[in-house]
Amino acid sequence: MSLPQFTLLRPRTLQEAVGALGKHASNIRVLAGGTDLIPSMRQKLFEPKYVLDIRQLAELKGVYHHPGGGVSIGALSTLTSVEHSEFLRKHYPVLSEAAATVASPVLRNMGTIGGNICLDTRCLWYNQSLTWRKGCGFCIKKDGDLCHVAPGGTKCWAAFSGDTPAALLCLNAEIELASESGVRRMPLRDFYTGLGDTYRTLQPAELLTRVFLPESLADYRGAYRKLRVRGSIDYPLAGVAVVMKRSNGQVADVQIALTAVNPAPVLVKGIQQLLHGKAVDDQLADAAAVLAAKTAKPLTTSALTPEYRREMIRVFTKRVLLEISGQWPVVSGR
Amino acid sequence: MTNDDFSIIGKPIAMVDAAGKTTGAGKYTDDLTMSGMLVGRILHSPFPHARIKHIDTRRAEKVEGVVAVITGKDAPTPYGILPVGHDEHALAVDKVRYVGDNVACVAAIDEATADQALELIDVEYEVLPAYFDPEEAMKAETNLIHENKLNNIEKDYHHVFGDPEKGFAEADCVAEARYIANEVTHAAMEPHSTLAAFEIDSQTGKPGRLTVWSSTQVPYYLQHKLALVLEMPMAQIRVIKPLVGGGFGGKSEVIPLEIIAAIASRAARAPVKITYTREEVFWAHRGRPRTIIDLKTGVTKDGRITAVKARVVQDGGAYCSYGVVTILYSGALLGALYDIPHIQYDGYRVLTNKPACGAMRGHGTVNVRFAFETQMDELAAKLNLDPAEIRQRNLLQAPCVTINGLRVQSYGLPECIEKTVERSGWKQRKGKLPRGRGLGIACSHYVSGAANSIIRSDMPHSTVNIKIDRDGGVVVYTGASEIGQGSDTMTAQVAAETLGCSLGRIKIVAADTDLTPIDIGSYSSRVTFMAGNATLRAAEQIKKQIAVAAARKMNCPVEELIFRNDVVSRKDASVARAPSPADLAENQPTVSGHVDGQILRGSLQQKRKDEGPKTSMSFEEAVVAAIDFHGALTGTGSYAPPPAARGGKHKGAGVGPSPAYSYSAQVAEVTVDEDTGEVTVHKVWAAHDCGRALNPVSVEGQIIGSVWMGMGQALTEEMVWKDGMLMNPGLLEYRSPSSVESPEVEPIIVESIDPEGPFGAKECSEGSLAATIPAISNAIYDAVGIRLHEAPFTPERVLSALRAKTAHKKIDLTEGVDPTAPIHFREHGGALWFRGKGPERHALDPARRETRAETGGDD
Amino acid sequence: MKKELIELRVNGRSHELAIEPTKLLLDALRQDLQLTGSKRACDDSSCGACTVLVDGIPMLSCTMLAASCEGQEITTIEGVSEHGSLAAIQKAYGDWGGAQCGFCTPGFIMTVKFLLSNNSDPTEAEVRSALSSNLCRCTGYSQMYQAIKAAIEAEQKGMAVVK
Repeated sequence: MSLPQFTLLRPRTLQEAVGALGKHASNIRVLAGGTDLIPSMRQKLFEPKYVLDIRQLAELKGVYHHPGGGVSIGALSTLTSVEHSEFLRKHYPVLSEAAATVASPVLRNMGTIGGNICLDTRCLWYNQSLTWRKGCGFCIKKDGDLCHVAPGGTKCWAAFSGDTPAALLCLNAEIELASESGVRRMPLRDFYTGLGDTYRTLQPAELLTRVFLPESLADYRGAYRKLRVRGSIDYPLAGVAVVMKRSNGQVADVQIALTAVNPAPVLVKGIQQLLHGKAVDDQLADAAAVLAAKTAKPLTTSALTPEYRREMIRVFTKRVLLEISGQWPVVSGR
Repeated sequence: MTNDDFSIIGKPIAMVDAAGKTTGAGKYTDDLTMSGMLVGRILHSPFPHARIKHIDTRRAEKVEGVVAVITGKDAPTPYGILPVGHDEHALAVDKVRYVGDNVACVAAIDEATADQALELIDVEYEVLPAYFDPEEAMKAETNLIHENKLNNIEKDYHHVFGDPEKGFAEADCVAEARYIANEVTHAAMEPHSTLAAFEIDSQTGKPGRLTVWSSTQVPYYLQHKLALVLEMPMAQIRVIKPLVGGGFGGKSEVIPLEIIAAIASRAARAPVKITYTREEVFWAHRGRPRTIIDLKTGVTKDGRITAVKARVVQDGGAYCSYGVVTILYSGALLGALYDIPHIQYDGYRVLTNKPACGAMRGHGTVNVRFAFETQMDELAAKLNLDPAEIRQRNLLQAPCVTINGLRVQSYGLPECIEKTVERSGWKQRKGKLPRGRGLGIACSHYVSGAANSIIRSDMPHSTVNIKIDRDGGVVVYTGASEIGQGSDTMTAQVAAETLGCSLGRIKIVAADTDLTPIDIGSYSSRVTFMAGNATLRAAEQIKKQIAVAAARKMNCPVEELIFRNDVVSRKDASVARAPSPADLAENQPTVSGHVDGQILRGSLQQKRKDEGPKTSMSFEEAVVAAIDFHGALTGTGSYAPPPAARGGKHKGAGVGPSPAYSYSAQVAEVTVDEDTGEVTVHKVWAAHDCGRALNPVSVEGQIIGSVWMGMGQALTEEMVWKDGMLMNPGLLEYRSPSSVESPEVEPIIVESIDPEGPFGAKECSEGSLAATIPAISNAIYDAVGIRLHEAPFTPERVLSALRAKTAHKKIDLTEGVDPTAPIHFREHGGALWFRGKGPERHALDPARRETRAETGGDD
Repeated sequence: MKKELIELRVNGRSHELAIEPTKLLLDALRQDLQLTGSKRACDDSSCGACTVLVDGIPMLSCTMLAASCEGQEITTIEGVSEHGSLAAIQKAYGDWGGAQCGFCTPGFIMTVKFLLSNNSDPTEAEVRSALSSNLCRCTGYSQMYQAIKAAIEAEQKGMAVVK
């Protein structure tokens, strides 16, 4: 499968990069790790006139701790570097865990944290070759006017399938977006629209440059559990990230986020109210799990039935809550 | 003879072609290039069933860089791997029959140009109703997939051996159930690839001979079908098989691209290479059909089987392929594992508008074995018998001929069961593991090649030629196809052992129809048995010639000579000793392939003169003597299965008989997570009777690989369909297991020493696969008490069965289908239940169910 | 499409190549440099058969543009053999059945080479995890573990393995 034709731009500085983005905003795609873009271009899902290769921008790589001011992670930091960062592992374990489950080790050597945040939403009716999509009459996300998954409506239900954003949402992460006109910073939770097609608020001339983790959430307990069929390679079919701070055995602060079961990674609303000030026990974990499962709206966008995937959100949420409350033997999740 | 009596047989040696594979120097078809070579790309049908009204290629032809565009009219002759199944065209002539069917091909200067031109081919289709469910397809009377196949039935067989009704009447306990195994595919790592080039004939000045390099398991069949479709004499066609990156049956017949490349090359007047994309590999398919098995087994209260009745329906896809053979294997290999006095078999191979199914590792036997071995376990539980014990009570008394005419001579099953039971700690651990953890046992068997070739003729199935020249090098010419299973290595070992020379002397020339004698190919696990025997015979013939000359030199009768370790000696000579490890190391080929000898000849001859008649001579001296005496040294050997092995006389009796059967018994240990339904296989103990292990490392590799592939079918692999669209045509979504979840497999070699196998060897590459699936399903039962009747045992199926047993809040995890009692294929069998709309199809489409009201999320 | 001149450093040598900017690194290696050891097997970046080292790190050459690797050091399977002989891991893969059809083998060798260069004595779990980027359809992976163990021993002894 050949790639569609494009002009390759290889800026050496961030300034050059945002300049090129501004100039060709209507018809350009950013190439970082390439693990999402290149296979999709082979399937002719994207046929941009320009490809902006930002692999050389060293200024966007690395994890930096700003004492008192949290952590900044360059968008081009590979998932391997996030996974292996001793600092993150110690202070933001939920992120290391989530990074360690993405695809496979070699893909994590290539894929970046920025790419994982910007990851295109996925659906088995969409992530197919041009010939295949012709055979099914295309879909609303690309070239068609119908969602096969929910043909009644006019909405795209492709599932957001990144692992790390669930962890980042729990950590109240913010992101930095750069363009020719300057830099803006926004909470990650505002980045996603909840729609399958126009799934992010990134403007065409903007580049995701950095991710910030607040100091206040450092050292929270945290864990990420991923539903996948194989122990490697697979995208998540459901994912649950949990962070928690306890004081005197009671929940002082908690966040739960889900991925791969909605068109966006989502925080479970109401979890704080449910758990705050209480000690997590089986019954409470059950109630939280039910709440999480209600937040999940999986459809037939991937393998395993939606009902099963939603049920696993429930099972995983309960397990993780009990686990990080020290009430469940810690098992290595698949 | 024990393995100590051999120098090379029974030793764990590296494959002779290993270095080419580990250095990247070895060439597979797609690695080849020729000057002026074009790239071919194929246009595929977007419809599952449609009449082609018109194809216009003019716009595509005008693209700069496009050299030729071909369609069905460029080669209208139908073909197929079976003589009874010539129902395919390389490119569609009148109809397309599945999404992905081949419509046209562009040959262009590069891939991008060809891809671009494909989009400019205009095809007008008339969409026809399509069939996706075999049980629905069997009811059809109009719009048949092939006009000559009534009710879309490719072939049905109805066999009765003994008196099944009497057998069931004698039973104390009868089990009857429906089992379903969903569709799987080979997913060999190498996508199919073919390079075709014509040479200009010096006499006519026109394109003459055709050479085709292809990723094939069957070069001879390919040559045969190319001749048929291209209307050329076979002698004008040369097929060369470079390294092949795995086959598992997916390359065991002629695949459309092989013929398309040749036609395109003829049209473009240039070499054309076509390499499938992974998606095209899935469309070419020829994998294991999804199968419904209605199975009934009767046993006495002490566990003896009294009768078996099976009705099997296979969803064969749009073309015959090996289908007639597959449906016959499913019935024939009900026999030859256990002693079954009465058998009734009804098999239906049905056409549907999906890619054609064909032969896949364990051809025809695997899904039926899943049903059978699961039912055995159910019967054992009913009778309160140990599952290992019930199998031991139904052993054949070999040598024997089964009720359906299969001759069994060597039968290592008893030892296989004994050894797996012992190694797995079955007796101490079965039933005593903590909840959620369990052990399961199952057995299987397979042929060592088919006793009857698919081309009915009296020709040998394998022929091998050997040439030895004054340099002492032994060149073995074999048509057998190395596909990663070790064919070349086996050939070298058999030749070296027989000739008593070192492995370094052997050079293998294989699978080139101009150079190598006919061998029908690498399928049905036939190579070791058949090509191995042919090699043995060729080597013996040439050895006799050497012996005559050597005996003269040594003044002794021929029978007094021993050939071993590069020395020919008289029995009474002291040199005939077992080689020390140092000797063996010395005899290994050096990197350059240089073998000492040539240089020494002068001095050796001098020495011989000095010493008079001798009691031993080097292999090379003996060869020189023999060439001086005979003029040239060539040997030839061939193998055809003996008439006694060829089976009975009933219709369809040709499939199933084999000169020898391999046997396997396995114990699987699993845990089941009762909250998630996830099954983890921890370990599989797999004992396999391979006759004799010619190369134990290789044999173990084949056993492990088979078990592992069976585990994939048991747990994660499944082709998922929706209205004829394959939802997972890639290695990302068709989940072949990764290293993380792959269990430890302990291979246990059992050697029954077959009387007719080369050095006693028989099959080892396929037979183990079938036992793994039921071993796992039986282990799941042992762990958590559920009986799954639908494979694969995906987490939602397992959880659904678990939840059905408990008073848990009811959630429909499997779209209303009970995996412990499946009734029919879903339109899209699989772990995916698409409530989605899917493509528009024909208004009268009988397979198109009413679209259910769709909620589509609740916001 | 217009070609551009790029300089690619592969296995310690520099090559000037005129290629389309859309060319994948894998295709540049296979078609322009005739380094056909790296294989194409999946099209969806899932199988690892095309794995090469880029500045010492294993990456998928089918998922990178050749032009975007300018200035980086690429090592392919052809660059693994030492002084014309098999490296210990290559020898061990042959001896222990780590390669059957061999199509995935170059990718695995690159992955293992990286693993062993960073961890001279990996646990079995580490080996399994490291190999999980690459799919093999023949071996079930088991004999690869033996091969890796043997290669480590051979490296430690500084000699080829004798079984």
